Amino acid sequence: MTALLDIKNYRLDIGTFDGPVHVLKGINLTVNRGDTVGIVGESGSGKTVLVRSVLGIGPRNAKVVEGSIFFDGQDITNLPEKDWTKIRGIRISMIFQDPMTYLNPLFTVGRQISDVIAAHEKAAGQGISSKAARRTRTEDLLDQVGLPNPSMLFSQYPHQLSGGMRQRILIAMALAGKPDILIADEPTTALDVTVQAQVLDLINSLVEKLNLTVIMISHDIGAIATVAKRCAVMYKGEIVEQGLTQDILNHPQHEYTQRLLAAVPDIDIAPEKVAAEATAAKPSKPGHLLEAIDLKKVYRSQSGADFTAVNSLSLSVKTGEIFGVVGESGSGKSTLARMLMRLIEPTSGDIIFDGQNISGLSGEPLRKMRRHMQFVFQNPHSALNGRHTIGDAIGEPLRIQTNMSRRDIEARAEALLDIVQLPKMFKYRYPHELSGGQKQRVCIARAIALNPRLLILDEPTSALDISVQAQVLDFLQELRSELNLTYVFISHNLAVIRQICDRTIVMKSGEIVEQGDTEQIFMAPREDYTKALIESGRKTSQAANLQA
Amino acid sequence: MLTFAFRKLLTLVGTMIGIAALTFFITNVAPGDPARLVAGPNATEDMVATIRTEYGLDKSLPEQFIVYMGDLVRGDLGTSIVTTRPVLEEVMRYAPATLELVFVAMFLGIVIGVPLGMLSAVYKDGPLDQVTRIFSISGVAIPAFWFGILLQLLFSVDLEWLPVSGRLPLVTRPPEFVTGLLLVDSLIAGNFSTFWTSLQHIILPAIVLSFPCLASILRVNRAEMIEVLQSDYIVAARAHGISSFRIVALYALKNAMLPTLAMIGLRFGWMLGSTVLVETVFDWPGIGLYAVSSALSSDFKPVVGVTLMIGFFFIVANTLVDLAYAWIDPRLRKA
Repeated sequence: MTALLDIKNYRLDIGTFDGPVHVLKGINLTVNRGDTVGIVGESGSGKTVLVRSVLGIGPRNAKVVEGSIFFDGQDITNLPEKDWTKIRGIRISMIFQDPMTYLNPLFTVGRQISDVIAAHEKAAGQGISSKAARRTRTEDLLDQVGLPNPSMLFSQYPHQLSGGMRQRILIAMALAGKPDILIADEPTTALDVTVQAQVLDLINSLVEKLNLTVIMISHDIGAIATVAKRCAVMYKGEIVEQGLTQDILNHPQHEYTQRLLAAVPDIDIAPEKVAAEATAAKPSKPGHLLEAIDLKKVYRSQSGADFTAVNSLSLSVKTGEIFGVVGESGSGKSTLARMLMRLIEPTSGDIIFDGQNISGLSGEPLRKMRRHMQFVFQNPHSALNGRHTIGDAIGEPLRIQTNMSRRDIEARAEALLDIVQLPKMFKYRYPHELSGGQKQRVCIARAIALNPRLLILDEPTSALDISVQAQVLDFLQELRSELNLTYVFISHNLAVIRQICDRTIVMKSGEIVEQGDTEQIFMAPREDYTKALIESGRKTSQAANLQA
Repeated sequence: MLTFAFRKLLTLVGTMIGIAALTFFITNVAPGDPARLVAGPNATEDMVATIRTEYGLDKSLPEQFIVYMGDLVRGDLGTSIVTTRPVLEEVMRYAPATLELVFVAMFLGIVIGVPLGMLSAVYKDGPLDQVTRIFSISGVAIPAFWFGILLQLLFSVDLEWLPVSGRLPLVTRPPEFVTGLLLVDSLIAGNFSTFWTSLQHIILPAIVLSFPCLASILRVNRAEMIEVLQSDYIVAARAHGISSFRIVALYALKNAMLPTLAMIGLRFGWMLGSTVLVETVFDWPGIGLYAVSSALSSDFKPVVGVTLMIGFFFIVANTLVDLAYAWIDPRLRKA
């Protein structure tokens, strides 16, 4: 039996201003009918370019240097555009990472799916069926991916739906052509933990029901392990290791794979608290650094309906601790974080920082207060101005808040780069010349430039690869004991929370569901919601860690 | 959607009142005594005083404002000194010519600008893109009056293909007045030869007026299309097997149309304001020409009337653009 998909010594260059970049360096991968294959690797490893080449939707300036891709015995390496219409979406289809940006915002769900159906019918040369027939088929598909009330969904727009629903709709579109191969490109990365687990379950059930062949790529080896029986590890444009997923998890051969697996935080392992000794060592000023009392934020939409993002929430953060805030998207954690710094105005309630009520401050006093509390944002790529050098970025708070001379600021920026373990010469570079992890270090350097006492970190590692995430987390812990900092650490990733936070609150719909010592919450969660959250987190975490 | 439209209409009324107040304010801060101006250089003090009472200029400013707004609501824009006819009547007589010119120019701008912008984006940096780039830069850079004269010299004087100026030859009887737009009225009357003649007359001024507008529509549409074509949902549409034509002409264009529409709305107002030059060059009997000749003879009521008229059409155009926005983008309908 010939393989369904056979990639042979595939080499691909992408032309850039500075000459060609070798993105794929001799890829060999065989996928048989009924296989579930995972491709794991960090961003920039070439996994997305690889699977997009299989669909002929690679980057514009890409050039195949050597090798070929065979699909069902047919060479599709340099297939002309018109022949692709018989393959794309019909025999090979694809689902994507961020279900919001991959759906057209201006067309209804039904329109988008029936358009796909019409395109397939046209490609098959059988003539396009009636609108009503396509609608029935669309509703069947929506039903198949477990969406309730398909007939209502048909006329809704993507922005009216949740992330999980959108991902299901993308899956429905991908199934419209009854494909042989389904390519899933990071299908869970942009979703909440509970939704992640649901989507992975759905993919698994579809594999069984429809006898699908699946190629799933992810940087999350846990997600891969729940779906894929076989797995390939990609690193810098090469497949460094492939085989049965079990084997790779148990006995990683390549040095990169070993590193990758070691970096995955395990939700079920209590960390040997580096943190604990730090708190014990220097309680320079015991007591509470930050308190929020009855904090509330209500958004009023134009239609007059109120939306309560944060509801009567009180918390207190002790000096020197790492205070975790965990919850799904929409639970109000980012609103809370921004309110604590008064980046968003609370509707009511008080914020006490170091004994002073800052909720009434404005103008100059507020500005002065802010130098003691700094914010690190989720996405370092968008938190840095692309037209400013790294040196400018780090020096900015100093220019705003102090009267330091240019030379002093420069010296301080160098010292800060040193603290975040980046070379001094980086101050001349621009953000696009840095990797994600390096950029996040720059953001942290900028945040600690004024020697603040409190750092509010809003999902600081979510946009980073797992191996980089581990580095940044270690580094944050070191930094805290070095500079005697207090953190408010926000994350949706429970394993990360467990690894670094001393105390944690669990948020849902703007309220605290549960709070206490992190270990206690993980060992003996009291509330059902917390239990469910930990259970969903465990699913992917376990898959990656159990065997290892 | 209906509440949205209703709210937009309310804004329209509010803005209109604002414009009326502004024009009143400007005419009153302008130096010079309007009564003396009306009375003429040789008038006695008595005559000036009589005129002041007659025009209500002896009342306080707030009183005058209330009278002015009251007149406006009743559609009274005052009387022209030169022709001694009501300004509203005259503006209504000249407005159709200008509107017709602007509509045809806008039509050209959209039907040429949008597809060219689209194609330039699809074949970015290709020969067509380079040509349209030069084309649009010159479109914005070339002064309208100079370009107009150039076209007259080439097509009317040298080649003798098209008439030099005017809406219709003197010998042609205009079709019966329905909308005032000659192209439409002649079609309604079933008079195709008049339609053809007026088309020949309008084509050159319309081209001149539309050129800068076309250029900016083209560039905005191109930039937006390039952006949209790189977006994730376009990649997804390709992956699902939707044909390239459909992706470009439907999926991408609809998304790219939003900023293009904003540009169209702005350009519409700009065109109404800049018909003055084109109407002068082509001797086009529109409100631009009317405003210029009134201003030259210090006849201010017509100037104010024309300003209000242009303001009105500009607001209406932009309200339509806002409604079109909501029609295209479901996310805006809630607001």
